[in-house]
Amino acid sequence: MRHVEQVMGTVVSIEIVDPLPDTVLREMIESTCAWLHEVDARFSTYRDDSEVSRLRAGAVRAEECSPDLRLVLERCADLWRTTDGYFDAYAGGALDPSGYVKGWSVEEASSRLAAAGSSRHYIGAGGDIRMRGTGPSGGRWRVGVRHPWEADKLAWVLALTDGAVATSGTYERGAHVWNPRTGEPATGLRSVTVVGPDLAVADAYATAALAMGEPGLAWLAGLTGEGYESAVVTEDGRAFTSAGLPVAVS
Amino acid sequence: MRRSTAAAVGTLTGAALILGVRLSVQPVAAPDAAPAAQEVVDEPVADETTEPAEPEDSSSSSAEDADAEDADAEDAGDDEAAADDTGLANGTYKGKAVQNPYGTVQVTIKVSGGKISAADATYPKSGYSATINPNAVKTLAQETLSKQSADVDAVSGATFTSQSYVTSLQAALDKAGA
Repeated sequence: MRHVEQVMGTVVSIEIVDPLPDTVLREMIESTCAWLHEVDARFSTYRDDSEVSRLRAGAVRAEECSPDLRLVLERCADLWRTTDGYFDAYAGGALDPSGYVKGWSVEEASSRLAAAGSSRHYIGAGGDIRMRGTGPSGGRWRVGVRHPWEADKLAWVLALTDGAVATSGTYERGAHVWNPRTGEPATGLRSVTVVGPDLAVADAYATAALAMGEPGLAWLAGLTGEGYESAVVTEDGRAFTSAGLPVAVS
Repeated sequence: MRRSTAAAVGTLTGAALILGVRLSVQPVAAPDAAPAAQEVVDEPVADETTEPAEPEDSSSSSAEDADAEDADAEDAGDDEAAADDTGLANGTYKGKAVQNPYGTVQVTIKVSGGKISAADATYPKSGYSATINPNAVKTLAQETLSKQSADVDAVSGATFTSQSYVTSLQAALDKAGA
């Protein structure tokens, strides 16, 4: 069963392919959407009444926030350290954990689906995907990586069962990622895709590498040891991949 | 070491401090928590001091201001003696090493002809910083960028908004599968 939901300022695509009764599948999709809307209500920086907005405004202190928000703050701090400061939830001055929240909420949604009995599904949120088990064909899920200049073409086709694929690029929203060292928009890389076990981490790594620019290529190479593979296209059209990238055979 | 040279090195220490602070500020730390980097520097400099190239920037007392003006006046002269009068003795000076979570950052300046001719910062040689060092040998393998139209279940791309989703390949897939 498939479903498309507008939430968190983007569009979330859900597909559950377990051979379960329609009523069960529908419930699974409903509870997934309810969770994503709950996350949006809590973490949106566009809503004055969200917990993040109240924390920003000083209306609540971090210690008084929900366990989810405290977890997100902690993970953002961890990623800030492991990305050498290039993943920065405070990049724009005020706290904006959106770069972590989207991936984390989808990661969590997939865990909840698994706990509810789904072993084969994918959830894609604005181009970041978490999948489990086998795809509709019975084989691995086939995930296309968008060509960074042509929206209807693919630069790579990946094949995987359990895992996450996250892409950050400058082609969709322009130079919206900043290099925290220079204070200038990130330059050098057009598109960074990271494949690995956790979507929130993959997304943060992709964003950090984009912020680094070309030195990000060497940095990404160092992540393969922890299970994160990558595919990169530079501004001048050169393509790079890590050795373990799960490229589809056909 | 002359006072203005000390001031220049002080500025660089300040630059290193700021660099250190920028690297070491904990995102979740309460605003009143003092960054660790600040503790290793005995003379915190004004926050505005961000340019290591201008020794005058670090002068805050009136006495030092006068000194800085002297330096300005003498800048016109380019012989050795005049250069010496600026108070910047030729040589290489290291700023105070500042600890941050990734290692030690230290700024070094070279003075020649009474002016700062080079400023450089050292970064940690191990850990994550080393991996973004341009000298790192391990990197990704280059290949030809392909352009395919293949049958896929989902598409990964840079974050699309609700508006741009409409024109995305993912939207076409969702429509086809609905």
